[in-house]
Amino acid sequence: MTKRNGEKGAGLKGAVFCAYAFVLFDACAGHQQSAVDPAGPQSGKIAVLWWFFFGLLTTIFLIVMVFTLLTLTRRGHRSGQEPLNASHLPPGADEKELTRIVAAATIATVLILFVLLIASVSTGKSISELGDKKNGMVIEVTGNQWWWHVRYWNDDPSQMLVTANEIHIPTGRPVMIRGMSQDVIHSFWVPNLHGKRDLIPSRVTTEWIEADQPGIYRGQCAEYCGLQHAHMALWVIAEPQAKFDSWMKHQLRPASPPGGPTGERGKQIFLNSACIYCHSIRGTAAGGQTGPDLTHFGSRRSIAAGTLPNTIGNLGGWITDPQGIKPGTHMATIPVSSEDLQPLLEYIEGLK
Amino acid sequence: MITQNMINVEHLEPSDISSQSPLWWGQVCIVAIEATMFSILMAAYFYVRLSVDVWPPPGDQFPHTLLPSIALLPLILSAFGSYWASQAAKKNDRTGMLLGMGLNIILATVFFVMRIIEWHSLNFNWQTDAQGSYVWAFLGLHSFDYVADLAFTIVLFFIVLSGRYAEKQRLGVHVDSVVWYFIVAIWIPIYVVIYWGPQIVETQ
Amino acid sequence: MNQTEPIPNSSEREAQALRDLENSWQTPRGMIGWLSCTTHQAIGMRYIVTAFIFLLAGGIEALLIRLQLALPNNTLLGPDRYNEIFTTHGTTMMFLFAVPMMEGMAVYLVPLMLGTRNVAFPRLNAFGYWIYLAGAIFLYWGVFTNTAPDAGWFSYPPLSGPAYSPGKRVDFWAQMITFTEVSAMCVASELIATIFKMRAPGMSLNRIPLYCWSMLVQSFMVIFAMPAVMIASSYLLSDRTVGTHFVNPAEGGDPLLYQHVFWLFGHPEVYIIFIPALGFVSSIVTANSRREIFGYPGMVLSIVATGFIAFGLWVHHMFATGLPQIGEAYFTAASMMIAVTSGVQIFCWIATLWTGRLRMTAALHFVFGFIAIFVLGGLTGVILASVSLDVQVHDTFFVVAHFHYVLIGGALFPLFGAFYHWFPKITGRLMNEAVGKLNFWILFIGFNLTFFPMHILGLKGMTRRIYTYGSEMGWELGNILATIGAFIIAAGGVVFLINIFLSRNRGEIAGDNPWDADSFEWAAASPPKSYNFEYLPVATSRYPLWVAASERTFVTGLRNDRREVLVTTLMDAEPHHRLVLPRSSLWPLLTALAVTIGFIGSVFNAWYITYGSILTGLAFVGWFWPRLPVETKP
Repeated sequence: MTKRNGEKGAGLKGAVFCAYAFVLFDACAGHQQSAVDPAGPQSGKIAVLWWFFFGLLTTIFLIVMVFTLLTLTRRGHRSGQEPLNASHLPPGADEKELTRIVAAATIATVLILFVLLIASVSTGKSISELGDKKNGMVIEVTGNQWWWHVRYWNDDPSQMLVTANEIHIPTGRPVMIRGMSQDVIHSFWVPNLHGKRDLIPSRVTTEWIEADQPGIYRGQCAEYCGLQHAHMALWVIAEPQAKFDSWMKHQLRPASPPGGPTGERGKQIFLNSACIYCHSIRGTAAGGQTGPDLTHFGSRRSIAAGTLPNTIGNLGGWITDPQGIKPGTHMATIPVSSEDLQPLLEYIEGLK
Repeated sequence: MITQNMINVEHLEPSDISSQSPLWWGQVCIVAIEATMFSILMAAYFYVRLSVDVWPPPGDQFPHTLLPSIALLPLILSAFGSYWASQAAKKNDRTGMLLGMGLNIILATVFFVMRIIEWHSLNFNWQTDAQGSYVWAFLGLHSFDYVADLAFTIVLFFIVLSGRYAEKQRLGVHVDSVVWYFIVAIWIPIYVVIYWGPQIVETQ
Repeated sequence: MNQTEPIPNSSEREAQALRDLENSWQTPRGMIGWLSCTTHQAIGMRYIVTAFIFLLAGGIEALLIRLQLALPNNTLLGPDRYNEIFTTHGTTMMFLFAVPMMEGMAVYLVPLMLGTRNVAFPRLNAFGYWIYLAGAIFLYWGVFTNTAPDAGWFSYPPLSGPAYSPGKRVDFWAQMITFTEVSAMCVASELIATIFKMRAPGMSLNRIPLYCWSMLVQSFMVIFAMPAVMIASSYLLSDRTVGTHFVNPAEGGDPLLYQHVFWLFGHPEVYIIFIPALGFVSSIVTANSRREIFGYPGMVLSIVATGFIAFGLWVHHMFATGLPQIGEAYFTAASMMIAVTSGVQIFCWIATLWTGRLRMTAALHFVFGFIAIFVLGGLTGVILASVSLDVQVHDTFFVVAHFHYVLIGGALFPLFGAFYHWFPKITGRLMNEAVGKLNFWILFIGFNLTFFPMHILGLKGMTRRIYTYGSEMGWELGNILATIGAFIIAAGGVVFLINIFLSRNRGEIAGDNPWDADSFEWAAASPPKSYNFEYLPVATSRYPLWVAASERTFVTGLRNDRREVLVTTLMDAEPHHRLVLPRSSLWPLLTALAVTIGFIGSVFNAWYITYGSILTGLAFVGWFWPRLPVETKP
C-alpha cells in the first residue's frame, strides 16, 4: 500500500515535470500566431506578465500538490484501522496548529493574488498608454463574414486606401485599429502584436498595436462568426517607414493596366461578368462594395482571407469552385468557360 | 430498532397556516424568481435607453400617465382584500375568506380593465423598436403573472364557496397573498419606469 | 426539544405500524404507478440516469469533434455539421447533463441526509423531471432532424439572430433553455423549503451536513441566476419569431446587452455545477478520513461567499469587447478573489486528510484527482482573470483547457467519487474497488492527455470553434495527443459502465453503513425503503451516526397511515408541526404535457403561449383540486 502511494506520488510528480518541460520547450520555439513570441511592445508586455504569472502559479500548484500527496504518507493507513478516537477528532493542540497553518495559507493566498492583481492592472495601464505617443496612425478594420475590409484613415479622403485581408504597417509607430462589423461579431487578433479586440456591429472598438521589427504576422478571427470562422485569417506585414510609404503610394494608384493582349482580354471578361457586382478595381468600371477590393490583389499573400496562398493555380481553383474550398462563402460561383479562365487569371494576378 | 430515547410529536398540529409552512417558502422562491426577472429587465431597459441620445425613439408617444396612476388605487386596495382573506384563513373564518378574496378579485379586475384600456392606446407595439419591445415585455409579463394569480384566487374562491375545503386549502388561501403582494408591489417600480421614465429624464 | 419517554414494547403494534408505513409510501404497480410516482428516491434516480445518458451523448459529440480536429484539413465533418456538433456538445453537457445530474443527486440524497422522508413538494419534484425530459427530447429531436443549434452553446446575436441564423435551429436551443431552467427552478425551490423546514429535530444550522449547505447555496444561486438566462434566451427567441428588437442593433437593441444578461447567468451557472461537487468531496473526505471535517465554520462561510461572489464576475467573459478600464479592473479583482474562497476549502480538506486515518477507497482516489485537476484549472482561471492575459488567450483552446479542468476536475471527478461512495446506499451492493481505482487512473491519465496540450495550442494561436486548421500552423501534435486522450477518457467511461453492471448483479452486499460514515443517509437501509426511516432520527451532533448507538434519539408520534413528515423551525430545528405530503399523482405529468405543448408550439406559432397557458391552468386546477374525504383529524 505504501509503495502504491509512493508510486502514485512519484508518477504524478514525474508527469508534472514532463508537462512543464513540454510547455517551456514547445511554447518558447518561435511560432507564427503565438502569444508567447511577441514582436511588439503590447504583446511584449503581455508576454512578460504571462511568464510572471506562469512561474508563480506553477510554484503554487507544486506546493499544493506536494502537501496533498504528503497526506498519503502520514501515519499508516490500513483499511479497517480504528478511527482517531471515539470523538473522531485529533488532539486539541493539533487542531489549533492546523488552524494557524490554514489561516496562514489563506492569508498568503490573498497576498499572492494581490500581487498578481497589481501586476495585471499596471500592465493594462501601460498597454493603454501606447496611444499617447504622438505619431500614431489609424486603420479601420470592418469584419465581414468571412473577410476583413481595411481602410487607412487619412484627413485627406483621396489618401484613404481601401484594401482587404492584408494590412501593412510601419515599424516603430503605434497603429490604432478601429474595429467595426458589417454583420455579426468578429474579433481582430494578431497574437504576435497584441491581444484581441471584438468587432461588434453598431459599435466602434479600438486597440493600439505596434511592431518593433519588420516581419510578417498572421492573425485570425477569434469570435465564432458562422460557417467559415475557421477560414478568416489576415496578414499584418510590418516594414520600415520608407518601405511602408512606398507601398502605400503604390497601393493608392489605380489598377495597373494589363501587361499584354491576354491580360487585356481577361480585363474585358472581368468587366463583362457578374464579378463587378461585388468587387471593385479602381480605375475600371468595377465598383462593387460587398466583397473585397481587388485593385492590387496580385500583390497580396493569400486568397480568401488567408485560406490559400496567392498563386495563379489556387486562384483558378477559387474562382471556379469557391464552395468547394470555403463551403458557405458568400462569393458567388460564376461560371467561367475554360478558354476564358486563363486570361482572367492572368489579369487578376497582374493587378500588382 | 427501538431505543429508550424518543421524542413524541403526536401533540403537534397536522398543519400550520403561517409562514412556518414549507409552502410559504415555496411561494417566496417564486416571488424571488419573478422579482429577479423584472429587476434584470428594468436594468436592461436603462442600459438600452442610456446608450442612445433620443428616448423614446422617434415616433413613439410618451405613455400617458393619468389612467395608470388612477389605476394604482384599485390595485393597492386589492392587496388589502388579499390580506383580509389570508388572516381569515388562519382563523378558519369562511365569511372573511370569501369577502377578502371577493374584494381582491373585484378590485383586481377593475385595475386590469384600466390597464387594457391604457395598453390599447399606445401607438407602438413590440415590433416597432427597442422601447416598444421593452414596454410590451413589461406589460405582457406582468399581466401574465397577474392573470395567473388572479385565476388561482378565483378558483380558491369557488373552492371555499363550495365548502369543500380543509387545512390544506386554507393554507393555499393564506400563502396566495404572498404572491399577490409581490404582484402589486413589483408593479410600482415598473409603472414608474414605463410611464414616468421618459418624462423624468427627457432626452427628446 | 421536549419530553423523551420510553416506548411500551408492543411488537404487534409495531409490526402494524410498519405495514401502514409501507402502504402509505408505496408507489402503485404498473405503468400508471410509474408515471404518477412522487417519491424522491425514484425521481432522483430518473434524473441521474437520464443525465448520465446525456453525458454519454455529449461524450460522443466530443469524440466526433476530436476526430475531426485530429488532423489538419480533415474532411470527416464539414463546417455545418461540425458547428452543430460543437454547439450541441456544449449545450448538452451544460444544460442536459451537469445541472440535472447535480439536481438529481440532491433530490436523492438531501431528504436522507436531513433525516426526513421526502422533499417538501413531491409533485413539483415529479413535474420538474418531466419538464427536463421534455426539453431534452425536444432538443435531440432537433439534433436528429438537421435542426441542431449551430451558433455556439451561448448563441451570441447577431449570429444567432434571425438574419444570420435562419430556420429553427437556434429556436430549438432557446426553448430548450426554458424547459431546463423551469426544471432547475422547481428543484431549487423544493430543496430550499426542505432544507429550511424539514430537517431532523436537533439539526440546527451549524449541524447541517456540508453537502446540504452546498445544495442550499446552489439552490439560491439557481433562483437568482436562472431568470437571467430565461431573459437572454427569450430575447433571442422573440427577436427571431415575433420581431422584437431586444438585441437587434438596427432598432435600438444591443448585442452586448445579450452578453451581459447571458453571462450574468453563465458565470453563476458554473458554480451551480461546481458547488454541489464541493459537498460531495466533504462527505467523501469525512467518511474516508474517519475524522470530523476540519474547519466546518470556514467551510460553510466559504461556500456561501463563493455563491455571492460568483454573481459579481460575469464581465470577465467580455474582456475583449473593449469595456472601460476601471470596470475591467474591478472584475479582475473579484475574479481573483473567488480563488480565496475555493482555496479555503482545499486547505481544510488537506488538513482533514493530513490528520485523518485514511481509507483509500476508489471514491477517495477521485477526490485526490479532483484536487490536482481542479487546482490547476483554478490557477489558469487566475490567469484568465487578468485582462491583459485574457485578451491573448480568450476564445482560444487555452480557455477550452481551463474550463474542462475546472468542470471535469471540479465537478465530474467528485461526481464519480460520489457514484462510488453512494452506490452501495442506492443499490445495496458495493462497487468493485479494484476496478474503481483502475477507472480513476484511466480517467485521470486520459483527461490530462486530452486537455493539457490545449493550453499550449491556445498560446500558439489556435482559436476556438474552428472546424479545421492548416498544416502550416504547428498545431498537429497537440491535437493528435488530445484526440488520443479523448478515446482514453471514453475507455474510462466504458470501464465505469462495466463496473456498474457487474456490481449491480454481483457486487458485495453493502449493509447500511459500509463506510462507517457519519450522516443520516447511512442509517437508512441499502437501498432505502420508500419511507427512508422507520422512525425519523433526531440529530444530537453534527456527525449523528458517530454518536454512540445507545445515545441516539428518534421521533415517534407521526401517523403512518398517511405520508406524514415533521416540519421543524429554521434555526434550531425544533419540531413545529406535522405535514401531510401527497401520494402518487398523475397531475404533474399532465401539467408537464400542457406546459410542453405551450413551449414547443410557441417556437412555431406564438399563439401557443395562450393555448399552453390555458391548458396549464386547467392542469393546475386538477393538481390542486381538493380530494374528499378531506382529512381534518389530527
